[in-house]
Amino acid sequence: MTAAQGLPGALAAHLAISAAALLLAVLVAAPLVLLMPGRPWLQRSVMGIASVVQTVPALALLALFFPLLVLVRNLTGLPVPSLGLLPSLLALALYALLPLLRGGAGGLAAIPESVRDAARAIGMTRWQRLFHVELSLAAPVVFGGLRTAAVWTIGAATLATMVGQESLGDLIFAGLQLQDWRQVLLGCAAAAGLAMIVDAGLGLVESGIARRRRGPALIGLMVLALLAAAVSGWWWHSRPASQAAPVVIGTKTFSEQYILAELIAADLRRSGQPVAVRSGLGSGIAFQSVKAGGIDIGIDYSGTLWTQALGRSDVVPRGEMLAILRRELQARHGVTVAASLGFENAYALAMKRDAAQRLGVKTISDLVRVAPQLRLATDLEFQSRAEWAGLQRAYGLRFAAIRAYTPVLMMAALGDNSADVITAYSSDGALSTTDVVLLVDDRGALPAYDALLVVAPGRDALAKRLARYEGRIPVAVMRAANWQADRPSDKRSPADAARWLATQTGLK
Amino acid sequence: MQAGNCVGLCHNIPVNGAPFLECRGLRLILGGQPVLGGIDLAVPAGALVALVGASGAGKTSLLRLINRLLAPDAGQILIQGQDIMAQDAVAVRRGIGHAVQGGGLFPHWTVADNIGAVPWLLGWDRQRRQARALELMAMLELPAHLASRFPGELSGGQASRVGLARALAASPRLLLLDEPFGALDPETRDALADRLHALHRAQGLTTLIVTHDLADALLRADLMLVLDQGRIIASGPPTAIAANPHPAVQALLAAPLAQARALAGLTP
Repeated sequence: MTAAQGLPGALAAHLAISAAALLLAVLVAAPLVLLMPGRPWLQRSVMGIASVVQTVPALALLALFFPLLVLVRNLTGLPVPSLGLLPSLLALALYALLPLLRGGAGGLAAIPESVRDAARAIGMTRWQRLFHVELSLAAPVVFGGLRTAAVWTIGAATLATMVGQESLGDLIFAGLQLQDWRQVLLGCAAAAGLAMIVDAGLGLVESGIARRRRGPALIGLMVLALLAAAVSGWWWHSRPASQAAPVVIGTKTFSEQYILAELIAADLRRSGQPVAVRSGLGSGIAFQSVKAGGIDIGIDYSGTLWTQALGRSDVVPRGEMLAILRRELQARHGVTVAASLGFENAYALAMKRDAAQRLGVKTISDLVRVAPQLRLATDLEFQSRAEWAGLQRAYGLRFAAIRAYTPVLMMAALGDNSADVITAYSSDGALSTTDVVLLVDDRGALPAYDALLVVAPGRDALAKRLARYEGRIPVAVMRAANWQADRPSDKRSPADAARWLATQTGLK
Repeated sequence: MQAGNCVGLCHNIPVNGAPFLECRGLRLILGGQPVLGGIDLAVPAGALVALVGASGAGKTSLLRLINRLLAPDAGQILIQGQDIMAQDAVAVRRGIGHAVQGGGLFPHWTVADNIGAVPWLLGWDRQRRQARALELMAMLELPAHLASRFPGELSGGQASRVGLARALAASPRLLLLDEPFGALDPETRDALADRLHALHRAQGLTTLIVTHDLADALLRADLMLVLDQGRIIASGPPTAIAANPHPAVQALLAAPLAQARALAGLTP
């Protein structure tokens, strides 16, 4: 699926989730604001809470709603969804609350006491005072808050992608990972355009209300209505004609996942099965989505599921781990492991080939001897993972220095001699070209990360259809496919890389 | 009580039987503090009554009670013999012209809309409201071209006139004015007070006016009520007030009288 094809759906979903969150926030903020005058304690506590919420990064707020909703589901036994629409809606609404409360409270507080007094004294009813005096006078400030909230919400809604809600973030995050800047730009431009049009529409309504002129207010409302109609119309026209519910494939945020998703999608589509790809899910959220049935097919790794789904931290041999996973995922979560693809995307320690030869290092045991003179570069999370603790326990490794880098920079750190040893991922495309060797884990301290296709509960036919992927993708072929999507120049799209992978492996 | 006796004392007011406005044993407590402690009052129809007294004496609160912006903790308020607490508050307010402290013009409404506010609440059509607004503007010597202006564009004197016009718009029988000329220069204030006096007479209004301008009260009011710490300490026509020996009343009068004497000494 190219970026432009995904745009109408993402745009419509983005607008819908933003509008729904804003509406919810207004429904919560309005009564609070109207209750505030004369209740300073209410104003203080509500504004305090809203300010604290605002200091939480939007991404963290979205992520926090996942465990929160799981907790609610466990406590109440209600079928509360913890992914997708609900957490996005709640988090975005909460985020929009502060500007709305500020605008509302500020607007009402700015009304002179004598004006409120006069409105009562001349015999206006409560509602007449509210509409003709308080809200009309507060409208410019209230609408200022509403515009801020709308722009923030539309911006933050791109992050809803991470908890499995379709949005323009789908384009942005997939584009970032693939370094497809056109796609990133398309997603950003669409979000910015949306924000600007909504802001302008609300601005017209605001000036209309402030100057008691119906014209601009009506034009503003028309702008907003036209926007909604245009976006939903475009989405309606570009939506796939097929009426059958599509099989949904979920991906995490890196190229290997995108390529494998395209490989499977193309395969299923050939048999007339409609397929939708939900890309850019957070790592922990991907499996949860499969478990909950929001996603039919997930691509995951045995070591990840071992800790995240089974809650285990011990290291067992590769084959045994796979057998336990197949049994336990089915028994505990109803999830079927349809196929083990045949390669690992495991943590490994890597060195430049010449340095390794010069120092005589082939295995991690060999490394122990020279490590105190070497510098290690890890990804951001490695040092807090069980793998690092396991390595230290098994080998007693000590380095001269340890530095954390973002994954894309680690290979560069090795290249410019900022580091001597790095943590690598065994299916990393860069390994297929760079002169780097992976050190053998001779004591079996690092857990296996076999790539697996996992299928949601109750999709047995689908699981059976995917069984033919078992053991079909060797690690060297996967690396080469990844490199096609990741290399700095002459990049291919995940779909193209997937086509190449299909011919190489015969998975056509 | 002195206030109750006032009806008989007011020789220059035509008194036809029952008083127009009557307060009986009014008490008001706000935030635990007694604001008004037993107000008895009878105002004959057509009287211009000035409420004077130090700040915090309860003058504004008394007006607000009469317009049902506050509810008394004890006592009764009767307008033309009817207990206003037994009536709908909004209806009571629409029947009374009340110019609140500070004016309280609606900044987002034009002058004409401000003046036509009560008529609008009473369901008058647009044309009739506009005509009434222009009529009142003429009466209060406001140029007609101001009708479409907003309060923010008016001078202090013009805003005060608009406030007065708004209170008069629906032809109330009772007018409550809370320092209507408070922030004006003396010349404008004097001219406007004269205008009000004439209107009050011509329209047959009963008017209660809270003022800090003792000279205005003494020279133009039919009756004066002197409030001190929530009680009426003196009431009657200005001549009687001027002669009242109560120390608080004399203290109130001392400044304007001294000023008048000094001014008289200046002129040849």
